[in-house]
Amino acid sequence: MVGGLKRKHSDLEEEEEDEKWDWGPAGLRSYQQALLQISLDKVQRSLGPRAPSLRRHVLIHNTLQQLQAALCLAPAPALPPEPLFPGEEDFSLSATIGSILRELETSMDDTESPQNPIAPPGPQNEVLPQPDPVFLEALSSRYLGDSGLDDFFLDIDTSAVEKEPALAPPEPPHNLFCAPGSWECNELDHIMEIILGS
Amino acid sequence: MAISRGLARRTVPEAADIISTVEFNHTGELLATGDKGGRVVIFQREPESKNAPHSQGEYDVYSTFQSHEPEFDYLKSLEIEEKINKIKWLPQQNAAHSLLSTNDKTIKLWKITERDKRPEGYNLKDEEGKLKDLSTVTSLQVPVLKPMDLMVEVSPRRVFANGHTYHINSISVNSDCETYMSADDLRINLWHLAITDRSFNIVDIKPANMEDLTEVITASEFHPHHCNLFVYSSSKGSLRLCDMRAAALCDKHSKLFEEPEDPSNRSFFSEIISSVSDVKFSHSGRYMLTRDYLTVKVWDLNMEARPIETYQVHDYLRSKLCSLYENDCIFDKFECAWNGSDSVIMTGAYNNFFRMFDRNTKRDVTLEASRESSKPRAVLKPRRVCVGGKRRRDDISVDSLDFTKKILHTAWHPAENIIAIAATNNLYIFQDKVNSEMH
Repeated sequence: MVGGLKRKHSDLEEEEEDEKWDWGPAGLRSYQQALLQISLDKVQRSLGPRAPSLRRHVLIHNTLQQLQAALCLAPAPALPPEPLFPGEEDFSLSATIGSILRELETSMDDTESPQNPIAPPGPQNEVLPQPDPVFLEALSSRYLGDSGLDDFFLDIDTSAVEKEPALAPPEPPHNLFCAPGSWECNELDHIMEIILGS
Repeated sequence: MAISRGLARRTVPEAADIISTVEFNHTGELLATGDKGGRVVIFQREPESKNAPHSQGEYDVYSTFQSHEPEFDYLKSLEIEEKINKIKWLPQQNAAHSLLSTNDKTIKLWKITERDKRPEGYNLKDEEGKLKDLSTVTSLQVPVLKPMDLMVEVSPRRVFANGHTYHINSISVNSDCETYMSADDLRINLWHLAITDRSFNIVDIKPANMEDLTEVITASEFHPHHCNLFVYSSSKGSLRLCDMRAAALCDKHSKLFEEPEDPSNRSFFSEIISSVSDVKFSHSGRYMLTRDYLTVKVWDLNMEARPIETYQVHDYLRSKLCSLYENDCIFDKFECAWNGSDSVIMTGAYNNFFRMFDRNTKRDVTLEASRESSKPRAVLKPRRVCVGGKRRRDDISVDSLDFTKKILHTAWHPAENIIAIAATNNLYIFQDKVNSEMH
């Protein structure tokens, strides 16, 4: 490599670094919401006449779980606008993912009734599709560890956020959001309201 | 690196023509491609000609056949694509060649034979094989073999069906030459090449409850020399080496190869970009090559903690991951390949670019497979992707990369510096210009 080129490269890195550290809580949340919306769109669009790619599905699912944990951990910066679909109360994130995974199993694996969780006894069946606080805690500790939340956003593509029309409405925080670090916020309908509101 | 372009094939831009796999046979004399339309095209290397030295090494179409047809699973109401996911050649045992081809569900064994003579002068049949009127047969004759134009015949020998519930992503022929394995998203099966109605499940990572599913098998391969060893990669970025001598079901790996995550690079996309899209043993059997979204890594079988070499394929995409997630490119499965001496590795990228890394000199090069930028037998010019700042002439900026032109499938001749690159519906064959070293 040419020496001058290296300098350019590092200049760019510095620029990018600046952009990364420019994130305020509103920007972060908006980014997470955008990502969550993209992920949910992907999950819903992937149900076609052909069996979907399980690899892609699992990777999106895991990303959604991370986003879910991050959204619950992050402090709420602002009140979202009115929900677009207030009637859909039971359309929760994990229920959606869970139902799609169940659908995948029944559509692709109906030859293996002994392994299907339809009726067999055992502790596995007690696991509900909706995650409990312990599950969320385990998930967040797994992905977040001891490091700060900002570590998650080192490779943010700023274009995604620039597209967002309104980053932070001026209203004070609404009680829809949980307090930072509180586990009460695993009420997934709230997350959906945030998404739909943005 | 001096590589000249041999030839480009299959230029009709139809979805069914998109090449989905490329594979040299064990001598490199034959090259097979599979496409989305379920066809297999076999190319044969032309014999060396003293009169036309340029023709040496060029590959011409040898045989084309329809391997798989689209199917519909009426019980599950799902279409089964005819797309050929993988082709693997069997070691040659006699004059015939054999290969395995697979789509999402069914593996088929094909036999390719040549015929350049045909019998003539049957007593009871005419030229077209119809029975003669016996009253016209007045004398007996001895049938003779007469030379004819070379004909390549392809016949299906075995159909290995109903072994997989999920999509088959890999097949690998064992070094014992009697068995092979097939891997789908959650299971790996072991088959005998002669038995179609029975396979043995050797890996099963399906959780009892599918809602607990967080990891899938992405690729798998047998060790080139030890018939008891195989490796499989996962969507979480790990490699598991299994020994079939340990147990019939290899759910417990012998070795787990995993690199600790770099906290400074952690993001929402960490897991997606660390998902291994391809794994290949080196010819020596000492190393493994893996490809993930941004890098290609070399692992030593004797060191599980981290790869011994990591090469950046297109690190400039690290700041674009959100867009690549949105347009689904982040899920592209790039393959990787070793050269014959395990000293150079190759893998594909976007914009019809492909990358080569010399393990000894640590030099790397970006080359382009496109009809616009290279003429037959022209020397390929290295390309450079510019990441901001001053742009040199011929550099291409990250923002102008064409993400629809991706090189996912590549293959390297087992002994010579000849490579095959599948760029959408075109197959490019490049050859080292003077048959010298690649570096």
